[in-house]
Amino acid sequence: MTTLVIQGLLNGIILGVLYGLIGVGLNVIFGVLRVVNFAHGEFLVLGAYFAFVLMTALGIGPMVSLPLAFIVFFAVGYALYFVLIPRLSKSDDPETSSLLLMFGVSIMLGAIMLLVFEADARSLQLDIEPVFLMLGGLLIPTVRLIALLIALVMIALLAYFLYKTQVGKALRAIIMNRDAVRIVGINAERLSAVAFGLGIGLAAVTGVLVAMVFPSFSPFMGNDYTLIGFIVIVLGGLGHPIGALVGALLFGITEQVSVVFFNPSIATMLGFGLMVGMIFIKPTGLFGRQALR
Amino acid sequence: MLKINGLQKRFGGLVALAGVSLSVPDRHILGIIGMNGSGKTTLLNCINGLYVPDAGTMEFDGKELGGLPVHEVARLGVGRTFQVPRIFPHLTLLDNLDVSQLQTGRNANERYAQSEYWLHKVELHRLRHNYAEELSGGQQKLLELARIMVAKPKVILLDEPFAGVNPALAQLLIAIIRDIPEQHDCSVVLVSHDLTSIYQLSDHIIVMNEGAILTEGDADKVRNDPAVIEAYLGA
Repeated sequence: MTTLVIQGLLNGIILGVLYGLIGVGLNVIFGVLRVVNFAHGEFLVLGAYFAFVLMTALGIGPMVSLPLAFIVFFAVGYALYFVLIPRLSKSDDPETSSLLLMFGVSIMLGAIMLLVFEADARSLQLDIEPVFLMLGGLLIPTVRLIALLIALVMIALLAYFLYKTQVGKALRAIIMNRDAVRIVGINAERLSAVAFGLGIGLAAVTGVLVAMVFPSFSPFMGNDYTLIGFIVIVLGGLGHPIGALVGALLFGITEQVSVVFFNPSIATMLGFGLMVGMIFIKPTGLFGRQALR
Repeated sequence: MLKINGLQKRFGGLVALAGVSLSVPDRHILGIIGMNGSGKTTLLNCINGLYVPDAGTMEFDGKELGGLPVHEVARLGVGRTFQVPRIFPHLTLLDNLDVSQLQTGRNANERYAQSEYWLHKVELHRLRHNYAEELSGGQQKLLELARIMVAKPKVILLDEPFAGVNPALAQLLIAIIRDIPEQHDCSVVLVSHDLTSIYQLSDHIIVMNEGAILTEGDADKVRNDPAVIEAYLGA
């Protein structure tokens, strides 16, 4: 039983880190722009298809498609910001309008993926040997371990960017006081576009990792990942990039350790129950309203 | 040189600025006083682009400021502080100053040197790794001043810098502001209710009333102007 619990814990950490990347992307966009990106999951699935197309058409493996996905989707997000977001500021209620707008984008992207890739589930055929690693009685799929390491490296890079670079500090500053950023001569629109690009780029990279870790993906899965993103940011705290990671680990571990003791439906219920409990006990989430340090 | 001519701003039926004209020569300190609602802050908000004026022109070093967004006005060299400081509360003091130099093109060493210089100047150096939210209200005003000065502006608009500041910090602020024109080749537009400080610091003083300039001149002239005594001092 102890081995099973540790196995569940490890699986929870692996999934939690991946879920955390979804939440961090959502939180960067919400924190800087106050935009609820309902299409986040669709961008994630698009990232998975991006890796799929590169692999099947050009024979490019996921290790190369990971940075390519970030660059391409960052550029897409950056450009999309100027098409979609500035118009929202003319609305009486920009936050609600952003939710409806991005919901529309989500439906549109889902339909486009269905049209282009059809409804069949796809998967990345990876030839990684050995398929499993045996560590002290624990059976770990090698690909999951690789995905965990990549995700951890990405989180470290993101933390370095946000906390050690001047642009990253400016992104955190704009979450704290948008006017003050403009007053010191920073183009808040351009910085917001960077935040949107960063969020979309992170979604796409997470999509590549998801395609590596999970057996299949399809155009219908976007909403599931968006929902997971919302759960982890509710747990961790809305608008707090690092809070999302903690929330995601909590969600992932709860779900995966519960599977050891209960059937999967109950495990899923417990994961969602955690979110409902958090809303009742601490509606702002674990890191909500805490200093964005 | 900042030149403003016939600046007007209305909020619905309220006339906030009724054709204000003024000029701020290089390395001068212009003091602006007036009762609450006389249009002082609205004037600053128009200059730095937070408000779009309804009429009039604002020229800075030969460039028209009207219609420019806030960040572009700042990049031309117009700095601004607020009655309630708009700092980045969850960044350290050093990071507050670092972010403010994003547009300067300086490398990390140059930015650090500039930040260190100004943190020493405003006597907050020992707190440089603290978060800005940990500072007192007066210290936050000093940080805000340092934050605009690191970008080497050509004119700074200071809105009530002495409000809510204890006497010791106020003296430090006065000493720093007094040195800015000559030491940093920068003009100052100083809005304050603190008449003593305004008289001490200003080369020229404007008295505003109901969105217009009631009178102007040096400290002696303003101090003894009957219209000012009646309208502003209420005596």
